[in-house]
Amino acid sequence: MKNDVIICRCQEVTEQEIIDAIRDGASTVDGVKRRTRACMGLCQGKTCERLIERIIARETGKNPAEILPNNARMPARPITVGLFRDKEGE
Amino acid sequence: MQDADVIIIGGGIMGCSIAWQLGKYGKRVLVLERKDVAAGSAGATDGVVGYHTKRPGPQMDLAVASIAMFRDLAGELGENIEFDFTAGGMQPAEDKMQYDLLASIAEEQRTSGVDIRMISGDEARALEPNLADDVYGALYCPTSGKVNPLKLTNAFAHAAKRGGAVIQTETEVTGFLIRDGAVKGVCTDRGEYYCDTVVNACGSWAGLTAKMAGLDLPVTPRKGQLAVTEPVDFFMRATIQCALYNIIKFRPEAIRDKRALKLGASLSIEQTENGGMIIGSTREFAGFEKENTFEAIDVMMKRAIRFFPALENVDIIRFFSGFRPYTPDGLPMLGETAALKGFYMAAGHEGDGIALSPITGKLIAELIAEGKPSYNIDVFSPNRFLG
Ligand SMILES: Cc1cc2nc3c(=O)[nH]c(=O)nc-3n(C[C@H](O)[C@H](O)[C@H](O)COP(=O)(O)OP(=O)(O)OC[C@H]3O[C@@H](n4cnc5c(N)ncnc54)[C@H](O)[C@@H]3O)c2cc1C
Ligand code: FES
Repeated sequence: MKNDVIICRCQEVTEQEIIDAIRDGASTVDGVKRRTRACMGLCQGKTCERLIERIIARETGKNPAEILPNNARMPARPITVGLFRDKEGE
Repeated sequence: MQDADVIIIGGGIMGCSIAWQLGKYGKRVLVLERKDVAAGSAGATDGVVGYHTKRPGPQMDLAVASIAMFRDLAGELGENIEFDFTAGGMQPAEDKMQYDLLASIAEEQRTSGVDIRMISGDEARALEPNLADDVYGALYCPTSGKVNPLKLTNAFAHAAKRGGAVIQTETEVTGFLIRDGAVKGVCTDRGEYYCDTVVNACGSWAGLTAKMAGLDLPVTPRKGQLAVTEPVDFFMRATIQCALYNIIKFRPEAIRDKRALKLGASLSIEQTENGGMIIGSTREFAGFEKENTFEAIDVMMKRAIRFFPALENVDIIRFFSGFRPYTPDGLPMLGETAALKGFYMAAGHEGDGIALSPITGKLIAELIAEGKPSYNIDVFSPNRFLG
């Protein structure tokens, strides 16, 4: 029952899917991400990453501090495509 | 004594495809991957499975054979790989000059029997209504498709494991055991593994891996920068590259803009099943440097709005980059090296590795298991670089 809990809300990934990814060989947040799409949503893992780290630690017996975090990439906040529009070309 | 019949180095889309196919021959396969399955290029790529981006000649013929395999792939692998084989591929042109260049490339591509046509601006907009009003015309390939590269790589890996392969991650190959001109095993950061047949499927790193075996094979990284947007409602079905994509790839001498040429920057854009748009891309030689640069992002985004004005208000949520395994003649290296017995290459697919992964797995497995592939791959032999 508890495994139906949604861990990544942006991408609707459940705890069970994350456990399955770990059993499939994922041992980092990126590994879970590549198998489930967790962390790839609008918030880019800000909400779900910590929870995923904790699940990996619990399932693999690793120390949470040893688990590689999600490879965060800029921008820190979403930016709109229109920002790049050519000003003089209008 | 032997740890496997075949050791495959690299757990990317090539390594996993080959491992799956070798299992069908009952071979004991060990895949050694220094990070994790799909940790290389598969996580930073588009998913074009199309004809119209392929170099006319042997590479196009190989693509035809590979794309034919996609039809039954999801069924054979037993997983959803988000393959849409009639998504279509389109390259809109801004003016008559671009249009004519595309048309001349398409004429060469058609010698392989593929359906690549030139259509008017109105026909292009009828297919993709979000295209800008002033697009002059377009190249269109109705039978080009798209796939989810991460799902496909993972599906190959799962099928390989079901077929008996062992995929060992977090194991880096650091050298080779060689006796009398033949490979006898590999050295890793976790010890030695013995076997007479080794496949180098290290993608952009394949040149470095070959060097550990004393072979000078020119596979080098060609960086591509990408951006992903927030999920939006249905926006486009085809995979779209602006005309400059094929022109930079096949007629670079026609490009006047120095900045565009140095960055190899053109627009490539597609919408994934969850609604996000992937916007790219560049073709740069920058070693293994992964940074996103303002210069490149600026060119890509300007071209994105130029062709799709409605993107203006869409948010980008992530920038990233990946490496294409580049070779000097634009063809992959497939087959055994004459200089080192038992050492096979399966790398160097540059910007077409997703589309070419099924056929690469099949042909390398046939070559290893039966001594001869069902399709002649002599032009792809790595020996063309080993004088
Ligand atoms: C921006 C961009 C867009 C693209 N668009 C498309 C497209 O639309 N369609 C298409 O078909 N292709 C496309 N490609 C190309 C495609 O992504 C690649 O050709 C393909 O992913 C290469 O797969 P690979 O398995 O050869 O390499 P990789 O996926 O890089 O796998 C190589 C693996 O080897 C491992 N490795 C390396 N060295 C060692 C070692 N010493 N020991 C152990 N393991 C090692 C790495 O960790 C890695 O996992 C694109 C590429 C980029 C960058
Ligand atoms: S909650 Fe996972 S990406 Fe936002």
